[in-house]
Amino acid sequence: MLRAHRLHPIEIWGPPHIARHEGNRHFQTYACDIVVKAMAFIRSGGIDATRAILVPHTCDALQGMGSVLTDFFRPDQRVLTLYLPRGRRTSDRDFLRDELARLSKTLVQVSGHEPNATEWAEAFEAEDAADAALADLYRRRNALAISDRDFYTAVRSREFLTAEKFCEQVATLPAGQAPRGGVGLMISGIVADPFELFDQIEQMGAHVAGDDLACGYRRVYSASHEHDPLIRTANRLMSCPPDPTCGTPIHERVEALQTRMRALGAKGLLIYDPKFCEPELFDVPLLRKHLNEAGFPVLHVEYEMGEGLPHQTLSRIEAFVETLS
Amino acid sequence: MSESDALAHYVESNRLEHFVNYELVGKSALRVQRWRDQWKLKRRKPRPDSPLSPPLQCVAYMKEIMSRHYLEGRYASGVRKVAWVTSGAPTEPLQALGYFLVYPENHAALCGVRRKAQSIAEEAEHAGWSRDICSYARTDIGAMLSGKTPAGRLPRPDMLVCCTNICQTVLHWYRVLADYFECPLVLIDTPFLYDEAHDHEVAYVKRQIEDMIHVAEEMAGTTLDQARFAEVMQNARRGAELWLEVLNRSQNRPAPMTAFDGFIHMGPIVDMRGEAVAVQYYERMLHELDARIARGIGAIKNERYRVLWDNLPIWFKIGEFSKSLGEHGVNVVASTYTYAWGELAPMIDPNNPLESMARVYLHPILNRSTGHKLEAMKKMVDEFQLDGVILHSDRSCKPYSLGQIDQRDRLSKTLGIPALLLEADHNDPRDYSNEQGANRLEAFIEMMEARG
Repeated sequence: MLRAHRLHPIEIWGPPHIARHEGNRHFQTYACDIVVKAMAFIRSGGIDATRAILVPHTCDALQGMGSVLTDFFRPDQRVLTLYLPRGRRTSDRDFLRDELARLSKTLVQVSGHEPNATEWAEAFEAEDAADAALADLYRRRNALAISDRDFYTAVRSREFLTAEKFCEQVATLPAGQAPRGGVGLMISGIVADPFELFDQIEQMGAHVAGDDLACGYRRVYSASHEHDPLIRTANRLMSCPPDPTCGTPIHERVEALQTRMRALGAKGLLIYDPKFCEPELFDVPLLRKHLNEAGFPVLHVEYEMGEGLPHQTLSRIEAFVETLS
Repeated sequence: MSESDALAHYVESNRLEHFVNYELVGKSALRVQRWRDQWKLKRRKPRPDSPLSPPLQCVAYMKEIMSRHYLEGRYASGVRKVAWVTSGAPTEPLQALGYFLVYPENHAALCGVRRKAQSIAEEAEHAGWSRDICSYARTDIGAMLSGKTPAGRLPRPDMLVCCTNICQTVLHWYRVLADYFECPLVLIDTPFLYDEAHDHEVAYVKRQIEDMIHVAEEMAGTTLDQARFAEVMQNARRGAELWLEVLNRSQNRPAPMTAFDGFIHMGPIVDMRGEAVAVQYYERMLHELDARIARGIGAIKNERYRVLWDNLPIWFKIGEFSKSLGEHGVNVVASTYTYAWGELAPMIDPNNPLESMARVYLHPILNRSTGHKLEAMKKMVDEFQLDGVILHSDRSCKPYSLGQIDQRDRLSKTLGIPALLLEADHNDPRDYSNEQGANRLEAFIEMMEARG
């Protein structure tokens, strides 16, 4: 949708080397790092080159950020919002279509360009190809001669590369035996930060067999072939894998995790959450209970973004890996 | 139906316990308790050393109707269909269908007021729920797991109704309840209003309310009686109007009640919105407040400063704050939180129930922008002639709290009045520092004194 309006999106997930205190001018200490650091990044001029800030509504923290940006901080850029429905019913789909129509009108104002049918079709073709490349990347994982760190670097480049460049990049990843040994883990949460985490897990004699990360596998969308571009966009967004921020019932999330963990040979689940992430925190005890019953041990770790990897966190993960080995 | 017929019906349908313990004995015992409370309140002599005037007499009635509600809840399972609902859920159709409604947030607040919340929340924490999630949720999950509750017993839900107009937290919380109770969860998703409501947002909420009615009808095995529904809507509107009038009586000097009284007396408008008993209760309360105003009686004996409270109360500190602030002549006369159940009364249209419900339930202050809340506070500062604002920075309620830093700055700069950010939690005493809180409140009072 953004592409059809000649806009290129770049996502912000707690940029490194940004001090939290600039964000604390607006948000209390108990607000999640992703929001506080995004605010700090915006205040520091990190996105001055952009035309607009789009804040998707997925949780109370992002809601607060969108509102504070709009009402108080008022950056030079236009602040846009998008409410993502929490259900998967027909009414949710119809609402999302209308919400996207509202957003589309604003995008026309931002870009000065209203896409025609051909431009919509071209945009879908390119982005569907990138979605397919991402899904294929996950499918080919065991046949790629790259480390977990390199794999997730490639996955997350979808957050800033154009669709074409992303497809080109993942096509060049070397095939071969994956340099991964030891016990396989499934990792869940919002974002695995910093990338050093993957190196450390590897050094512990384990590897990441699969993920359930908001900026990872939960972004593997299915293509829709609806003619109406807004319905097509809505269908795509609503086709994501189970996700607590979308209101997926817990039993569905558990079933999906179990199925994938068995298929990928993961022996345990590492839930790796930034501090104060309520959507994730509510599910943790029930994920632990149900997965333990299914024979999968679970470790929950919370971290502060940009603070490196504390020794205590690594010790806990290491002990977890040892119990699985 | 004669008494013997009624008894036969209950026995036949295995409802004897409900009849005896609630209808026959419980209601009567609570009525007697209320007479005793009224008698005590009337005979109570004013305490010269207390900064507070005697409590409102109507509190005895509130105690009776709230206790009756919780008492019925103990025996409701199998007698009435039970729905657990969020405090901002569109419950009027459920009431018209005869559902017994449980408000877990109100139950958690009850635990907080009785100072039981921490020990009950710890049950949830021992089971793995983080201390960083909402303390209401932890309290109720702890009660669900352990059975601990000052209410005696909560009935098992047949259905859960979760409306996101107060926060997204409730969605995550109710997903946990749905997993535990293995019952249907009906979601009413209310898009957050960064500005005014758009038509597609109203249509979306209306459609979900219609879907909820279908689910509730199917579960109850009956259809919605339109006459009864209209009656409930009338009561909902009248109750909200009266509640708003009650709160606005504090625009008088001295204010006849405090916002802390408001937190306690909001029980019926939250739990019994749409019921005649709530209307009757607020008529009684209004009458008593008018009598106080006519006699010049204030809730604080020596009202010197008038203050606004933003956000949920700190339930376990209500009595203490009321007294300690009162000693300095500070009356917290208004709150954005209690207003939320009254300010939308004009939007309730019994002649256009579904459309108006969609609009009403989209517009609570918690579902509106941080800028809107600032404007609402400024208006209250003007209408209630306030000298300062206390913004409770509530660890457990992020949607209410995020934005308060900018709101405080704007209030201080544009209105020139002291505005205090007070760090605490609505239900968890571990997140409130007595010493730090007292120091900050003292500094706040000094700032008001300095302004004269």
